[in-house]
Amino acid sequence: MMEAFFIAVAPLLGGLLYGFERVLRARMQNRKGPPLLQPFYDMYKLIGKQAFIVNPYHSILGIVYFITLWIVVAFIILGENLLYIIFLHLLSVVFLILAGFSVRSVYSHIGANRELLATLAYEPVLVMMAVGFFMINGSFEISAIRANASSIIPLFLLFLTFLMIIPVKLKKSPFNATEAHQEIIGGVEVEYSGVFFEFMYMAKWLEYVFIYLLLMLFAGDNIALGTALFIGTFLLVNLVDNATARVKMRDLIKIVLTLGIVLGTVNLIGLSYV
Amino acid sequence: MTTAILIIAPLLFALAALIAPVMIRNILTILFVIALSALSLGNVFSFNTSFAFPLPNSFHELFILLDTLLLLYFLWRGIVAKNALVMLFALVQIVLYAVVVYLSPAVVSSDIFADHISSVMYLVINIVGGMIIVYALKYIESEELSRFKKNGFIAILFFFLSVMNFIVSTNNIEIFFLLFELTTLCSYLLIGYRGDELSVKNALQALWMNQIGGVAILLALVFSILEYNTLYFDVLLANIDEIYLLPVVFLAIAAFVKGASIPFDKWLIGAMVAPTPVSAILHSATMVKIAPYLMLKIFPAMSGFLSLGVTLFGTFVFFTATLLALGKDYFKEILGYSTIALLGLMMSLAAIGTPEAVTACLILIMFHAVSKALLFLQAGVLEKSFGLKYVDDIDGLVERSPLTVLFIIVGFASLTLPPFGVFIGKFMAIESISKEIINNPFYTFALIFLALGSTLLTLLYFKVVAKLFAKDVDVKPLHVKISKFYTVPSFLLLALLFVGIYMIFLSHFLSSLEFVVPLVLIVFVPILFATLLFKNAHRVKEYNCGEKDESKLGMYYFYLSDALKKGINTAAALSLLVLIAGVLL
Repeated sequence: MMEAFFIAVAPLLGGLLYGFERVLRARMQNRKGPPLLQPFYDMYKLIGKQAFIVNPYHSILGIVYFITLWIVVAFIILGENLLYIIFLHLLSVVFLILAGFSVRSVYSHIGANRELLATLAYEPVLVMMAVGFFMINGSFEISAIRANASSIIPLFLLFLTFLMIIPVKLKKSPFNATEAHQEIIGGVEVEYSGVFFEFMYMAKWLEYVFIYLLLMLFAGDNIALGTALFIGTFLLVNLVDNATARVKMRDLIKIVLTLGIVLGTVNLIGLSYV
Repeated sequence: MTTAILIIAPLLFALAALIAPVMIRNILTILFVIALSALSLGNVFSFNTSFAFPLPNSFHELFILLDTLLLLYFLWRGIVAKNALVMLFALVQIVLYAVVVYLSPAVVSSDIFADHISSVMYLVINIVGGMIIVYALKYIESEELSRFKKNGFIAILFFFLSVMNFIVSTNNIEIFFLLFELTTLCSYLLIGYRGDELSVKNALQALWMNQIGGVAILLALVFSILEYNTLYFDVLLANIDEIYLLPVVFLAIAAFVKGASIPFDKWLIGAMVAPTPVSAILHSATMVKIAPYLMLKIFPAMSGFLSLGVTLFGTFVFFTATLLALGKDYFKEILGYSTIALLGLMMSLAAIGTPEAVTACLILIMFHAVSKALLFLQAGVLEKSFGLKYVDDIDGLVERSPLTVLFIIVGFASLTLPPFGVFIGKFMAIESISKEIINNPFYTFALIFLALGSTLLTLLYFKVVAKLFAKDVDVKPLHVKISKFYTVPSFLLLALLFVGIYMIFLSHFLSSLEFVVPLVLIVFVPILFATLLFKNAHRVKEYNCGEKDESKLGMYYFYLSDALKKGINTAAALSLLVLIAGVLL
């Protein structure tokens, strides 16, 4: 019952998180910033707008991206298989990328290309993380991971790697090359408007829920630790976002892949000796 | 009994196809294919699928004669074409073969041996291979070849099926060697079929590379006779001693050659010059599938170092072949490298050898065959109906033939996404390797290759799919009608994919929710396409930032430098040497 409720409100929670983040970021920059509910006001405005479409495939793929992501979040809440969830998430990104490629727009294509490359950077890290959990808990099932004690100490290096891919997924600097606004005008989102953009907008909120739910897995059954991890990471990501400039796409992949894989490998090899 | 029919019948069909006029040939071929498929299916459901028996001595003499003739034929081809490598390897094989025949021990075991793995292979060979032959009927008609050569083409394909059915039912390594060389012969004839300069060149390349595999098997035989005094797989495996694994490592190398693993990838990629049904049959039902099959045959003999070495090498091939594919523009070449990659993964799984890994390997063998066949058939359609070969040119195909696009998308989806079989195979692969890491940290590297490779593979496939959608709203291209000979086999393969999905559902690899959701999504998207076409929404053109210039949209490629490619090949060759050295020490 609780699960059903959380699944239903997941996008709203993501929206709140997104709104809070905007406030927090503004405060860090000594601005007042928009109200907490600004994302929802934006949504309301989007619904009222005239719907324009470039081509039907494009619009539908955007909606499907949102739905798939919601299902991914639902699966995490239900405690299904982690490895499977990571692959299903990949499917949702595939829909987004196809959407980006389905219009003949230079900016959309650049955005989709960059999204592809970013996937290349974080996907292997996610798989390694899942394997780390498997080696500790003997199972890929999230319900089992949640029932066991926290594995943040034995998986500390993988945890660091995971911290590194949060900015990639949430499009925060220094790893926000996928959405480099001034240069590529929003990337994959550029051709969406009105109600169709709303789905893309909500999907963004779901990405927040997705990534922070994965983060909580490191806390296992320790709720206090989970809360601390969430708050700490949230602050850290925004602090880094405010304090750094964007790195180039090439560097993003190089940094995440090399450092991530080295840390992950060391961690997994270490685990097999314990 | 079934085995004998599966071996002999295609030989007779080949003869029939060779002499019959077109109309009768076509009808006969379709009937033959149905019969072969039914027989291989029946075999799976019959009570006694595994059996073993020896062949009479006269057969052995016949096989020795055939083998000698075949090796002499290779030597002759080398002399005619003035190809030093072909001549060299033919000579080496003749010498080694003479040694084997001279040494061959008198102890006899069963020559014919079929088990459940053979039954699975029969399914792949006869059903998938059969559909490709039906497809080839139409394809070959549109080629500029003589009547006799066209019939010969179909005949060779049937002959190929016969050889494949035999190779997966033999327990005698000497007979295995003969059949191994016969598949080399088939691929040599088929690749060079068009007879132009490039075809002949690539056919010779395929010949000498596959001969290396033959040399490896002969070496395995020599060492097996010297140490274990046997020509038979079962005796070898029963007596295997961890200290002396030379025969096993050479058999593994033969598998890598057949599987076109890097550094032997050139022959399979060169094979792309052949008519498309050849690529389809080489990649899905025959030839390269010997590689994981052979690995499955010998995995009980692999332990410790060798098992780890083969696993690492296989996953390394999985990763690097995908990397190479990302720089390619030629549709068939992309498919080719992805075959090499997945074969590497299959061989890794076989080498791990846990019951789970072996199941994963078999699942991959079956479903990869169906998916690849489906995709290669579409490659042929693209070539024949649209004159397209390069991914960069297939803009907006969805308007010209939605059916072809559907086949391509489902084909690629079935190689990557849940709940299709290949996904399950990869999923189980990660699980198997994770379990191995707990005991041996070196498997971590296999996992990393696997994780990187499978991400790259997804990117690769969807990069191609993305191109199918990109279309110009203003231009309405003509709809093209595709021949029934092309669509019917494609539909049947599609149906097989869904049968596979049903089997996966029955075997509870995924929970029912995990199973249904992606399926709904994958079906849901086309239905949404079909219903919500937004007839009333306002159509706009893309935002171009106020620029007037038309821009041509290309694809991204990862161009690997030549130095890096050389590095990959050297690394692969070195690791094979390390494998041999490690076993020797």
